[in-house]
Amino acid sequence: MREKSTLRNLLENCLFVWLGLSIVLSLAPESTEFPSIFQVIGRSHPLLLHFPIVLLLAGIIFFIVPSLRENNEVKNIGELIFLAGANFAGITVVAGLILAKEDYEGESLNWHQWAGFLVFAFSIFIYFFRNISSKTIGFSAVILAIGVILTGHWGANLTHGEDFLLAPLNPEESQFPTLAEAEVFRDIVQPILEAKCVTCHREGKIKGELRLDHLEGIQKGGKTGPFALAGDLENSMMVQRISLPMDAKEHMPPKNKAQLSEEELSILKEWVANGAKFDQKMEELEKESKLYQFASLRFQPERRYEFEAASPETVKELNNFYRTVMPLYPESPALAVSYFGIAAFDPASLNDLKKVKTQVVELSLNKMPLENLDLGFLEDFNNLEKLSLNFSGLSSQQITQLGKLSSLQELALSGNNLQQESVKILSQMNNLKKLFLWQTGLSDSQKNELKKNLPTTRIDFGFDGKGIIYELNPPKISQAKTLFKDSLELVLSHPIPVAEIRYTLDGTEPDSLNSHIYSQSIWINQSGKIKAKVFAPDWKSSPTVSSVFMKSGLSPSDSKLLNAPNPRYQAQGANTLFDQIKGKNNHTSGEWLGYSEQAFEAEFEIPENQNVESLGLSLLYHESAYIFPPTQVEIFSWEDGSWKSIIRDQPKQSEKIGEIRSELLQYKIQGNSPQKIKVKLNPISSLPAWHPGAGAKGWVFIDEILLN
Amino acid sequence: MEKEILEQGLNLNRRKFLSRLSLGLGSAALGSLLVPDLFSGRSESEDAIMAALPHFAPKAKRVIYLFQNGAPSQLESFDYKPLLQKNYGQDLPESIRMGQRLTGMTAGQEKFPLVGSYFDFQQYGESRAWISSIFPHTASIVDDLCIVKSMHTEAINHDPALTFFQTGAQVGNRPSMGSWLSYGLGSENSNLPAFCVLLSRGKGNGQGVYSKLWSNGFLDATHQGVQFSNSEDPVLYLKDPKSMSRDERRKMLDQIAAMNDLSFREFNDPAITAKVQQYEMAYRMQTAVPEITDVSKEPDSIIKLYGPDCLVPGTYAANCLLARKLSESGVRFVQLYHQGWDQHDNLPNQMAMQAKDVDQASAALITDLKQRGLLDETLVIWGGEFGRTNYCQGKIQVENYGRDHHPRAFSIWMAGGGVKSGMVYGETDEFGYNIAENPVHVHDFQATVLHLLGIDHEKLTYKHLGRRYRLTDVSGKVVKDLIA
Repeated sequence: MREKSTLRNLLENCLFVWLGLSIVLSLAPESTEFPSIFQVIGRSHPLLLHFPIVLLLAGIIFFIVPSLRENNEVKNIGELIFLAGANFAGITVVAGLILAKEDYEGESLNWHQWAGFLVFAFSIFIYFFRNISSKTIGFSAVILAIGVILTGHWGANLTHGEDFLLAPLNPEESQFPTLAEAEVFRDIVQPILEAKCVTCHREGKIKGELRLDHLEGIQKGGKTGPFALAGDLENSMMVQRISLPMDAKEHMPPKNKAQLSEEELSILKEWVANGAKFDQKMEELEKESKLYQFASLRFQPERRYEFEAASPETVKELNNFYRTVMPLYPESPALAVSYFGIAAFDPASLNDLKKVKTQVVELSLNKMPLENLDLGFLEDFNNLEKLSLNFSGLSSQQITQLGKLSSLQELALSGNNLQQESVKILSQMNNLKKLFLWQTGLSDSQKNELKKNLPTTRIDFGFDGKGIIYELNPPKISQAKTLFKDSLELVLSHPIPVAEIRYTLDGTEPDSLNSHIYSQSIWINQSGKIKAKVFAPDWKSSPTVSSVFMKSGLSPSDSKLLNAPNPRYQAQGANTLFDQIKGKNNHTSGEWLGYSEQAFEAEFEIPENQNVESLGLSLLYHESAYIFPPTQVEIFSWEDGSWKSIIRDQPKQSEKIGEIRSELLQYKIQGNSPQKIKVKLNPISSLPAWHPGAGAKGWVFIDEILLN
Repeated sequence: MEKEILEQGLNLNRRKFLSRLSLGLGSAALGSLLVPDLFSGRSESEDAIMAALPHFAPKAKRVIYLFQNGAPSQLESFDYKPLLQKNYGQDLPESIRMGQRLTGMTAGQEKFPLVGSYFDFQQYGESRAWISSIFPHTASIVDDLCIVKSMHTEAINHDPALTFFQTGAQVGNRPSMGSWLSYGLGSENSNLPAFCVLLSRGKGNGQGVYSKLWSNGFLDATHQGVQFSNSEDPVLYLKDPKSMSRDERRKMLDQIAAMNDLSFREFNDPAITAKVQQYEMAYRMQTAVPEITDVSKEPDSIIKLYGPDCLVPGTYAANCLLARKLSESGVRFVQLYHQGWDQHDNLPNQMAMQAKDVDQASAALITDLKQRGLLDETLVIWGGEFGRTNYCQGKIQVENYGRDHHPRAFSIWMAGGGVKSGMVYGETDEFGYNIAENPVHVHDFQATVLHLLGIDHEKLTYKHLGRRYRLTDVSGKVVKDLIA
């Protein structure tokens, strides 16, 4: 107990030391210079102040709650806490008074200073008169608690700014001015100063005698020089300080405070370089300057829409799989509407849009079938600025309805067939900034008329391709298979609708006069070859494409190869020739017999009672793989105990490297049907001079012999 | 606990939603359209998206990215360097190379002989931009283009460089640019995927592209790029089997959805709803895709504009035409890749072929979008993953030389969608080796593209494995000079 009371005595005495010190300090003149050790004490004020707040408030609880005073032990602890709090209050006041001599002034400072002092003094009073009456003390303690909180608040205002605490409750209007309204200083420079500088350079905390919270302060400058000198980067203190390296003592903002971003740095410098003007409009800046470009990103170039936004529910309801209704950006009241899906288009759904007729600024109905639709409803869309109606089959009458849309700025009518009547209507739409009229069937004079009548409108007539002659792509020949049994369907197609496909089945080159015009699929019942080509006005005719088809034939009663094929390409030997399976266009597929060193030679017997009228050879050609047409085809018939040559042919030789392709060589067998046939094919012995492998031996590849 | 309650609330919403879904299979996709993450149970990411969306109107609504895979030489296309012709064959000064690392392909080379363009350059348009003679169609629309000659990247080999361009990181598994946009902006047309991928290949030396480039990474699978096939049937397995009618298909989907609904009630797994949505989208794609891929309704002049190759499925020209049709139908991001631009040797010959493949159709796409009034809202980008060296790789000959990979400077162009037109931005030194002014890093480029679409690249993030990721990783600055 003795020890405790010694401590208490000491603390009680200390109270008066602090009281004395603080009275002396508060009376000391403004200009008092303290030894630097005192400055350290002063600067520990922001640290110390937390102790009295906590300890005093904790101690106050012991005074207010009567039950805590019943037990002596508890009461003692409470009083000791309060006493410690009062002591810290004293130390804090002393430190605060020293700190106040540095660069602080203003109303908040006065309030804070005196409140702090009173709190301290009042706590001494309460401590010593704690036993008078619990009611009075309780009441006084509550007053003290309020005092502590107020003092703390004023102190916080000093460091964080006047409205720091309540700012979140009064959100500022976050709407940006438009680019046209924005001012360089007010909207770009000042926000930076406010974010990064003003906490220390303002009323109540005028560091370096510089105030940046009002214009006069900025114009006046600080202790060491002017804040900003028009166009003079070197002598503007602000530019000097912010340009110093981080560890320089004078660097601003101080090392431990939020730093300027590179962008902010360049904005501040540019502003000074530009004359450090306070009333310059953004629009007056040169478009190339960094400031302007920065501003053009931040501020919306166009005016904001004045009308009210539609309710989110309405917008949500209007959206479906085939219609998108979206704000231009999340906070914009303006809506953009797009329709998708030609098949699902329902003209009646346009009526739904009346709910947002004020808000719709963009409407896209590209490719929607709008024929015979009354577009009069668009008149109610007062703010419609952009309307896209490409390829929607509009009539003159519908265009007339568009003429009444007064706020329209952009109109896309590409792909609609326009008449003179429409040209007249469009000629009066002076408000249009952009007009898209590609593929509208307008004559040159109509185009000129429009250009003349709408001098400020950018009209795009697009690309008409006139005078450009390209070669057409070849047509496509579709057939289910090459080898067929009874009949085969051939389908020809070309993606350009105006193109005319012509074909021949007799091996001749198709031409635009005499060859068959393809209109529907062709049915084939014998082996042969189709050649097709496309013709169209204003186009060069396509290259010829061809395709072979083979009718499967008889199977011989016996067959054999007289010469062995190359070991790599022997397929199923002689059986390959009559397996009725067409080899793929790939000589390594295992369906082809390949010969290079020797000639292909095979003989086969025709079953009894069967007549052979024609013989087909299915060959593969692929020049880059050295596979060429045979130099000679010879067919023999077994007559009277010996082979008699009945056909000898030199097929047309390749003249260039072509695609890999399948060919059919067909021969008619005249006279009596032979009983036994031999076929001989000679591979090319020396590749022609134009071939990369000139002089080397070529190949013959065969996969099927067709006997009909 | 709070999280669980929130989760529960979301689940209840889902149930309500699904009960309606099972009745008429109504507006499920609409929900995802308006609230992209309604079904994925990640309310946080939704906030992230809202935060990312801008306070100003986006300039572009859609992107078509014509990726020239393999890295076309800037020195034979847009970056005219007469000095290289003048100093033909001389060694690249060390003062210019400054220790730039080399690929394994030229690291062993003793000399680095400078080589100038085999093709002539000429100035075009009001912008007086220099363009080489192998890009005549591009030259004819130069006043619609914004050519950036000062691109630079970090990677020196194809795969990391490609991945870096597309995903913002050199390693894989990050979402692609298209996926980020699908995630950030959602779908415009709910009958089509928001992100489509089209591939083509030229005859030049090529480098592969892999599906990781259009991967959704850690984002929802719905944001993955949908690769179209190079055949006449661009989306495989979309047709109903021969004997099946639309009604039958509808009934089948309704039944499946009802069953899925039951299992959703039991397990609460959001993947079930995602699946239902995908079935529904596929059903709608059955009508939407044929409308788009049918070229027979295109006017004659369109075929002449893109060139007759556009009728041959799988060519670059056909893909450009398809890209226009998809974009016009509200696909947010159409990604093309044209392979074959890796000219380590035989450059003049291959480059001419490659340019012939892409020049007309690329220019046609711009003209086509323009004549429909769509160019203003569609951003078109043309470019490769890096540039090529100003010195020759291998033996130097007048008509046959090669160029190695060069990350320090290369050219791309952009058009439409809010970029300045008729602009040439950035400059390389007279050797065409280093950037002399206005460098644009890949992340800057990505930040700029996002900005044009109304997205703050620093705010479009997704939390994955405890970290927030973004397309531009931890850097990138919007290049304001490029924005109209």
